[in-house]
Amino acid sequence: MEEARIGIYVCWCGSNIAKMVDVEAVAEEMGKLPNVVVAKNYKYMCSDPGQDLIVSDIKEHKLNRVVVAACSPRMHEMTFRKALENAGINPYLFEMANIREHVSWVHTDRDKATKKSKSLITAAINRVLYHDPLDKRSVDIDPATLVLGGGIAGLAAALEIAGSGKQVYLIERSGALGGYAAEIDLLAPYMNSAAQVLDPLIEQVQNHKNIEIFLESKVTDISGYVGNFDAKIEKKGKEVEKKIGNIVVATGLKNFDPAVIDRYGYGKLPNVVTAMEFEKMLKIGKVETKTGKLPKNVAIIHCVGSRNPDYHEYCSRICCMNALKFANQARSILPEANIFDLYTDMRAFAKGCEELYTQTSRKDVLFLKFEKGDLPTVKKAAAGDDCDMVIDMHEALSGEDIEVPADMVILMTGTEAHDDAKDVAHLVGVSMCGNDFFIEKHPKLDPVATTTDGVYIVGNCVSPKDIPDSVSQAKAAAARILASISQGSVEVEVTTAEVNEDICCGCQTCIKVCPYTAIGYDEEKNVSIVNEALCKGCGTCGSACPTGAIRSKHFTDVQILSQIEGLMSLEV
Amino acid sequence: MSFEPTIVSFLCNWCSYTGADLAGTSRIKYASNVRIIRVMCSGRIEPTFVIKAFTEGADGVLICGCHPGDCHYHEGNYKCLRRYHLLQKYIQQLGIEKDRLRLEWISASEGKQFAELIDDMTETVRGLGPSKVKEVMTTYT
Amino acid sequence: MAKEEKPKIKLAVYWGAACGGCCVSVLDVHEKLFDVVAAADLVFWPIALDIKYKDVEAMPDGHIDVTLFNGAVRNSENEHLAKLLRQKTKVLVAYGSCAHMGGIPGLANFTTKDELFKRIYDETESTVNPDKIRPQPEHEVPEGKLKLPEFYNDVRTLDQVVDVDYYLPGCPPQTERLVEVFMAIVSGAELPPKGSVVGALDKAQCDECKRKKSDNKLIKKFYRPWEIQDDGETCFLEQGVICMGPATRGGCGVRCIEGNAPCRGCYGPPPDVPDPGAKMMSAIATMIDADDEEEIAKIVAQIDDPAGTFYRFSLPGSMLRRKLT
Repeated sequence: MEEARIGIYVCWCGSNIAKMVDVEAVAEEMGKLPNVVVAKNYKYMCSDPGQDLIVSDIKEHKLNRVVVAACSPRMHEMTFRKALENAGINPYLFEMANIREHVSWVHTDRDKATKKSKSLITAAINRVLYHDPLDKRSVDIDPATLVLGGGIAGLAAALEIAGSGKQVYLIERSGALGGYAAEIDLLAPYMNSAAQVLDPLIEQVQNHKNIEIFLESKVTDISGYVGNFDAKIEKKGKEVEKKIGNIVVATGLKNFDPAVIDRYGYGKLPNVVTAMEFEKMLKIGKVETKTGKLPKNVAIIHCVGSRNPDYHEYCSRICCMNALKFANQARSILPEANIFDLYTDMRAFAKGCEELYTQTSRKDVLFLKFEKGDLPTVKKAAAGDDCDMVIDMHEALSGEDIEVPADMVILMTGTEAHDDAKDVAHLVGVSMCGNDFFIEKHPKLDPVATTTDGVYIVGNCVSPKDIPDSVSQAKAAAARILASISQGSVEVEVTTAEVNEDICCGCQTCIKVCPYTAIGYDEEKNVSIVNEALCKGCGTCGSACPTGAIRSKHFTDVQILSQIEGLMSLEV
Repeated sequence: MSFEPTIVSFLCNWCSYTGADLAGTSRIKYASNVRIIRVMCSGRIEPTFVIKAFTEGADGVLICGCHPGDCHYHEGNYKCLRRYHLLQKYIQQLGIEKDRLRLEWISASEGKQFAELIDDMTETVRGLGPSKVKEVMTTYT
Repeated sequence: MAKEEKPKIKLAVYWGAACGGCCVSVLDVHEKLFDVVAAADLVFWPIALDIKYKDVEAMPDGHIDVTLFNGAVRNSENEHLAKLLRQKTKVLVAYGSCAHMGGIPGLANFTTKDELFKRIYDETESTVNPDKIRPQPEHEVPEGKLKLPEFYNDVRTLDQVVDVDYYLPGCPPQTERLVEVFMAIVSGAELPPKGSVVGALDKAQCDECKRKKSDNKLIKKFYRPWEIQDDGETCFLEQGVICMGPATRGGCGVRCIEGNAPCRGCYGPPPDVPDPGAKMMSAIATMIDADDEEEIAKIVAQIDDPAGTFYRFSLPGSMLRRKLT
C-alpha cells in the first residue's frame, strides 16, 4: 500500500461549529498526527472555495486520503466525495467527522466540545487509513414506473410520466380513481368545482395508452433495486408481476376520527359532523339536520385532532381554508343562519387564501377564537332553548366565557397518515417519522426522493398538504424519474458485501441472514456468492460470518476497529 | 474533578444516527461523553466491536438501531438484538457490569429521546465508576 | 564420492503450562522419527532428554534452530524458559493451543491465583491444611534455601511473553502437520511470513467436514451434545448443537466431528480474525430463530457458558483475556 497522505479540513460552518469548538486548535493538533500532511480550518468547507481548497491541496500535496470535520455525513458526504473525484482520487478515500450535529449543536462546554471533536477526527483519520478505493457501479433503468395511489397526486405523476411515452402501472386500493378529491364539492380558495378539475384528469388517465390501471389492487412485494424492481401486484385475488425502474408512492392520507375527543360529542350528538360528512351534504346539495330541518345555527370548529399534543402536534394545513370554504357555502345555502367559526389561529398562507379569509369575514360569519389548550365543549341544549346544541367556550379575544348556539357542528378534522403507511414503508423501504409520514431524503433540498434510490414520495403520505402542493410534488417526482429514464442508467451502491473465497468454508450461515436473498451458494466451489446487484450493503452478513470471509465494503472490521482505537486515543 | 465516563455508541445510519442528527438540528443539549460510530445497520454491529471499545477504555457501550419492525433493511435490528443478549451474558461472565452495555431503539424522529438516553446512560455509567477493562487487559499479574 | 552431509538442524521441545499431550504428539511421529533424527539433533526436551536448564543457558544465542514451545505461561519458570529459549532460538514456534492461545489451562483466567489456591490448598475434599499454608517462592530449611517458581495470577500465551515466529495450533497439533512443517523447515524452503499460523488451513472446518449442511441454520433450541440423539450425518449446528467448526481453522482432519463430537475450536480462528471467539458468538446469536426479545433471551439462556464455550481454548489470547476482579 502506498504511504497514506491525509488532508484534514475542519469547518467552522460560519459560527455554527466555530462558536463551540476551537477549530483552529483542533486543526493544529490534528496536523501533528502521523500521516497528516495538511490540516486546515475554513469558514465553509461545503462552499465552492472550500471544496476548491481540498481539490488544490490534493494536487499540490499529493494527498491520497481526506478527512472533513464538519456537519453530518448525511448532509455533505456526497459533496466532498465529488470534490475528491474532481481532484482525481477515488471518492471513497474520504471520511467525515460530524462535529456539528453531534458536537457543537448539542454541547455547551467549549473545552469538552473541542476535545470531543479531536477524538472524532482522530477516529476518522484512523478509519480513512484503511479505506479502499471502490469502483462505481451503474445499472440500467427499466423505463416503466409504478405509481402507488390513484389520488390526485398519483394521477398527476402518472400522467406526467406517461405523457413522455413511458409505461406507468397505477395501483389503487379502492374501486375508483380520484381519492379524497373525488369526494369534495368545491375547492378553496377559488371555489371552483372539484369535479371539473378532477374528472378530465381521471379520463385522461383512463384513456392513456401508457397507463395500466389496477383498481382494488395492492402491491404485495417489491424486490430488486433502483432501475430494476420487481413488483407483485394482487388484483382481486390474482397476482401479476411487473418489472419497473422507479416507484412513486402517493398513498395519501386518512381523516382523523373525532370520536376520541369526548367533548365534541361526535357519534353521540347526531348533528355533530366531520368535514367530509359536511362535504357530502354539499355535494348532494342538501344541508340539513338529522331530523330534516335547515340548521339555524351552524358552528365550525377548527383544529380537530391537529395542533394538539394529545392527538397530532402538527398542523393539518388544509382545514382552515376548508372551514372558510364551508362558511361561504353555508352562507349561500342558508342565508338566514348564524354562522360561527371557532378557530385558534387562522392559517391562510397559500395563494388566494388570505383574500378568502377577508371575503368570508364580510359575509356575516362570526369568528370566535379559543386558545389551543382550552378547547370548546359541545353539549345538548337545554329543553326550551332555541337550538339543538350549545357550545361552551372561552372566547380569547374578549376574554369571556360564552355559549354558542348550534344546530349543526362541523368538526374540521385533521389529516393523518394512512392506516397502511407502515406496510407501504416496508414494501418500498422508506423510513417513517413519528407521525407515520414518510421521510424525505432531504426535507429542503430533496423533498420527493427517499433514502431508497428509485423510490419517490409525494402528496399527503409525506405530510399534510393541499392539492397544488401535492400536484407539484407529483410532477417533481415525475421529472426526477423521467430524467433517470433518459439517462438510461444510474449509479448504485458500491458498499456491498463480498466473499473472500479463499477463506469462506461454505458453512452457509450467511444465506438466510440476507433480507434481499442476495447471497447464494456455489456448490462446486463450496463458497457463498454475493449478488452485488441485490445487495444493499447493510452488513448483517458480514457480522454473521463466523470465518471473517465476508467483507462489508467501506464498513470492514479493520476500518471500524481502527476507528474505535482512534476514538479512544484521547481523554474525554 | 468528578469522573467523566466515555461512552462509545454504535448507531445505525437510517434511524438512530438520523435521530442523533435531529437532536443536533433541534439544538437539544446532552452530555458530551458519547462518541458515535456510524454503521449502515445495527445488523452490522458485532461483538468484536463492542469488546474492542471496552478494551480501548470505553466505560460504556451503547448500541442503537431502528425500532423493531422499522429496520431500513427489514430485520438487521433483530440480529443485533440476538447478538446483544448473548454478548451481555458473555461480558457479565468476564465481570463487566451489565449496565455498561446497553441496546436501545432510536427512530429518526427521536432526537429528544436520544439526548435523554445519552444523559441517562452517562449518569448510570458515572455511577458505576471507571471501567477496569483496559487496565486489567494490559497489565499482567 | 561421499554425499555431502547437510548439517543437522538443532531442535528443542519445551513444555510450559501444558498437559503433556503436545509432547506426546511429537512422539507420535512414530517411524517418521527416523527422518526427524536424521535431519535434526534434539538439543533440549525435558520429558525425553536429561538436558538441564543450565545447559541451555550455556548455549550461545541463536544456537537452537527451531524450538517447539508448548504450554501456556503460568509461572515464573515458564516465563524464564520462554525468554531463555527465545534468546537461544532462531525460529520459535508456539506449538499447540496453550502456547498459541492459552488453551485449557487458560480457563484459569476466569478466576484468580488466590481463589485457585484457596480451593486447592484449603477446600478440596482430601485437603487437611488447618494453618492455611501456601507454597512460597522461597523457603528456608536447615539444608539451605528451597525455591519454587512463582505462580502468576494470569495465564499467558507465549506471544504475550516473547516474540513468536510461528504458531502451530491444535490440542494437540496433528502429528502429520508437525512433520510437514518440520520437513519444510529442514528442506530450506522459503518460510511463510513471520507470525503466520502454520500446519493449519486458512479455510475453516466446514470445508473438510463431510456432514450434510444447508442454509437452514436457524436455531430454536440449543442442545448440549448429550441432550440430543445425533443423526451422525447432519451439520451439528443444524441440529442445535454448538459446533465451533465454522470459526475454526481446518487442518486437523475434522477428527472430533468424524468422531461424532462437535468441534470445540482448538485450532483457533481463520486468518485476520481479531478475536478468537467473538465471530462465532456473533454467528451463533444470528442463528437464533426468534425476533421477540423474551424468546431470544430464553434461547440465549440455553447457552450455559458462552465464554467457556466460545473461548474454550483461547481465553488468554482473546481481547477480554481474563475475568475482571
